Amino acid sequence: MLILGIESATQQVGVSIGGHEGVIATFEVARGRRHAEILTPAIEFVCRQADVELGELGCVAVDVGPGLFTGMRVGLAAGKALAQALKIPMIGISSLDLLAFPCRHTDRVVVPAIDARKGEVFWAMYRQVPGGVQQVSAPAVGPVDELVADLLARSQDALCVGDGAERYREEILEGFHCEISGPVHPSPGALVQLAHARALREEWVRPGEIEPIYLRAPDAQINWAIRESRP
Amino acid sequence: MKIDESTLVLGIETSCDETAAALVMGGSDVISSVVSSQIEIHADFGGVVPEIASRAHLEALNPVVARAVVEAGIDDSRIDAVACTVGPGLIGALLVGVSAAKALSLAWDVPFIGVNHLEAHLYSAFLEDPTLEFPMVVLLVSGGHTMLIEMRGHGQYRMLGQTIDDAAGEAFDKVARFLDLGYPGGPAIDAAALHGDPDAVRFPRALTDDRDNLDFSFSGLKTAVMNYVRKHPDVASADVAASFQMAVVDVLVKKARRAAETVGAKGIVLGGGVAANSLLREEMLGACAAADIKGFLPSRAMCTDNAAMIAAAGWYRLASDGPTPLDVGAFPNLKLPLVDA
Ligand SMILES: [Zn+2]
Repeated sequence: MLILGIESATQQVGVSIGGHEGVIATFEVARGRRHAEILTPAIEFVCRQADVELGELGCVAVDVGPGLFTGMRVGLAAGKALAQALKIPMIGISSLDLLAFPCRHTDRVVVPAIDARKGEVFWAMYRQVPGGVQQVSAPAVGPVDELVADLLARSQDALCVGDGAERYREEILEGFHCEISGPVHPSPGALVQLAHARALREEWVRPGEIEPIYLRAPDAQINWAIRESRP
Repeated sequence: MKIDESTLVLGIETSCDETAAALVMGGSDVISSVVSSQIEIHADFGGVVPEIASRAHLEALNPVVARAVVEAGIDDSRIDAVACTVGPGLIGALLVGVSAAKALSLAWDVPFIGVNHLEAHLYSAFLEDPTLEFPMVVLLVSGGHTMLIEMRGHGQYRMLGQTIDDAAGEAFDKVARFLDLGYPGGPAIDAAALHGDPDAVRFPRALTDDRDNLDFSFSGLKTAVMNYVRKHPDVASADVAASFQMAVVDVLVKKARRAAETVGAKGIVLGGGVAANSLLREEMLGACAAADIKGFLPSRAMCTDNAAMIAAAGWYRLASDGPTPLDVGAFPNLKLPLVDA
């Protein structure tokens, strides 16, 4: 089965196609934020270059975040529309899973951290299991201090990855000794690989059942909650 | 591609707080039109919250498109083109619709058409009366816009006047919130005014002295209402609502009529959410009758944001300009394309 992977939850926009023979085509742009402008032509391009008709696709996989809200919605909206029009199922995978997956060969704790703006990061923790990685602490959002506190509490050898780890490299290293390297953005190739494993188990959903992972309420709701809680 | 009476366009609208999809044939025949409103989601905040709107659009869009297709009783393979609002509007909200619409056009291998939301409002009138004659004057009044436009032909617009501060709908929302009448302000004031005296308070009619000035200003009126209520705390809200509404409608109708006179229009057409206001509709028809020109009031459903008008405007744009490239994005401040005076 051929899977189209759409990844747009960070600064990067990426599209991959692949299946049982692995990833057969990828397009990635990591500069600029024009997700909506790039995405549809990128899908067209990847399909044409890989000689794949959209009608041959069996599934659309999409990065469901957490990440930059507007960017990830562009990917989700396009992916859901494609799947609906082509009448095929979808697989949603978290951006944090996608960042951790390429680091599956280390025995350290893998900590993907995505820049959440406003001085905060989205992060989670993973460890190696046969054939991949498994989440050992649930996704969270908060200031970098909280991530550092989390690392200190666990006090294990850690590998931090992602644009959040890169951006706050100094702050993290000041508080906790670890390595910061590896992928900066989730990759659409990893998305197709992970989705393929799930597709084999038929772990897919209808387009309407795909849920974005925001982890953060809209500003207005936060302000509202504060106002409501006042006496 | 041949564009004709049988060309079926799917329209998509997500520029503000309505998620809408519609199928329109030949630019005027509405086969289906589905609107999912977020009014209740935003009511607590007294206005549209952009991030909440974007989230709601993403959730609602697929079911709304599916319903438009089902209600039309067609197979989606019959769709000839996908038209979608690319601006003006809330950037995050627009991007949901644009991204989905471009993906649909790619999947179905049909043209994509980026539509100007303001132009679409002008086309909503043609959906209900394709016989409208040019030149005509369109009074477009909504929460985001207050403008008087001369329409000389399809795609031929000239700006005659617009608001220099608040939009009329914005004034309705702010005054309704101030009077504690609820959200959205338009219908709330409309309802409250039914029980009030429109002559109770004489509020200012800004920029009406100079006959050639077709611009609007509503921010002073809003302030006058607030000052009056603070000075007269015992005044009945219904009287204030009715007097405020009278002042707004007075200005809108007077200027629309002057605009029609100036350009020799064959008629005046209303558009935008505020065009659903009952006093405005009544007064506008009266003024047109007095001036012996046609007054056309699209149904309330066509005045407020919908996707049928997007599909209709898309059909005209496809016929005149062809498809829009798939690398287009959204334009939050998109203006109406004007012809030189
Ligand atoms: Zn509108």
